Amino acid sequence: MSFTTFFDEPGPRARRRHRLLEIATCVAVLVIGLWVIVELSAHDVFSASAWAPFSQWGMWRLLGAGLLNNLTAAVTAMILSMVVGCLLAFGLLSPSWVLRRFCMGYTAIFNCIPVLLLLFFTSLMLPTWGVQLPDFWFLVIALTLYSGAVIGDLIRAGVQALPHGQSEAATALGFSPIRTIWLVLLPQALRSMSPAMVSQMVIIFKGTALAYVLGGYLELLHTATLIGSYYSQSALQALSVAAILFMLVNIGLSLLAGAIERREQRRFGTAATSDEAAQQAAMA
Amino acid sequence: MSFLLPHLPEFGLGILLTLALIALGWAGAMVLGIVLAALRASPIRTLRTIASIYVLVFRNIPLPVQMVLFVFGLPLLGIQYSLFTSAAIVLIIYTAPFISETLRSGLNTVSRGELEASRALGFSPIGSMQRLILPQAFASMIQPMGNVLIMMVKNTSVAAVVGVAELTFTADKIAIDEVQPFIMLGGAAVAYIVIGLLLTRLVTALDRKVAFSR
Repeated sequence: MSFTTFFDEPGPRARRRHRLLEIATCVAVLVIGLWVIVELSAHDVFSASAWAPFSQWGMWRLLGAGLLNNLTAAVTAMILSMVVGCLLAFGLLSPSWVLRRFCMGYTAIFNCIPVLLLLFFTSLMLPTWGVQLPDFWFLVIALTLYSGAVIGDLIRAGVQALPHGQSEAATALGFSPIRTIWLVLLPQALRSMSPAMVSQMVIIFKGTALAYVLGGYLELLHTATLIGSYYSQSALQALSVAAILFMLVNIGLSLLAGAIERREQRRFGTAATSDEAAQQAAMA
Repeated sequence: MSFLLPHLPEFGLGILLTLALIALGWAGAMVLGIVLAALRASPIRTLRTIASIYVLVFRNIPLPVQMVLFVFGLPLLGIQYSLFTSAAIVLIIYTAPFISETLRSGLNTVSRGELEASRALGFSPIGSMQRLILPQAFASMIQPMGNVLIMMVKNTSVAAVVGVAELTFTADKIAIDEVQPFIMLGGAAVAYIVIGLLLTRLVTALDRKVAFSR
């Protein structure tokens, strides 16, 4: 969507006006930017002493280890929630009314509960039920409970978007329902859902920063606050660096999702999945 | 259940704060999102670039990180708001890009040919926008907007990370104080589910009401 989609192509006078406005806004942005930089340097944000801790190699190793911890948790949660999602999709597609209702209830409920609440729940309840785990697993279980519901719905949508002839042909060849889903429908559905899956990975990755509240798992945000409390003059810098690292990884993953989607479109001539669930996952 | 009674006002206040965060966050994010979408459609390149950079940056930094940066980082620069205000501001800042993207994709669902046809019939740009484009775009936007709204409802809980005494925080605190995690956190979950399902119902009803026969 752009201006010229909705309005007429600007005439020569309007174009001159736009050019002038462009220059004016450019100048305004530069002035505001300069003012912000001056204001920040008045608070010693750019001073050498505040950035001194970051000249050490060990500091970047710490931050990198934190980021790696986020990624480990995200990948583990992603794999587990694929498993949960496949099971849920079997339930959602099953002919049994009870099983279908149960799985629909699960998706509806876990779509509404915040991950942070799930995280408090796992970290408080599992120990009282006699399950002693490191904080890493509390995080992974909380993320899996939530993300499994989303992925289950995604797989269901992907399978239902396939032409009906696929499952009919498999049944005609004598496949059992489970084998039909597992060998015929699921591989095709998973392929067309890959962009949405990468987007879900971004959501999970963002969610791993919540482990900050547990304090027992050294993910990037927690690492940055610890650095900030140790080098108190660099607290803001540490947090900003963490934010930028998070941002870079997420942008990388989004670019990957875009690339996969374009490749799918080139190879199969269609947008990935046009179902609502897919859009929802791609958006959040 | 007697342990619950003295904590009832606290729990109610938590729910109220969550609802206030939802209302404030949604209103602010709507305004900022519409402004962003308008900037991204503007003929002036600088404004388009600013809006794109904003969306890229604030969509890709996790909400807890933004929350911590805003609440613990900015006071070091002398910028300080109350906890609740900060949480609301961060929610607005974080949600606005999603709203602007939804608006953009909603407008994109209207095919260009329809616009051209209406212009050929003699509608002005504003007229065709208001009679043809916007009604269709709104109809296709309601469901994704509802999804963004529910995402924001869940995101209000992240305010607990910095210590805003909303529903999640209060439930966790009472759960630890009274050693009743299952009941307290379960109660909070039920409250979120009720809010979420009510909103889902509302969105579905609205969607059915404005649905176009396409």
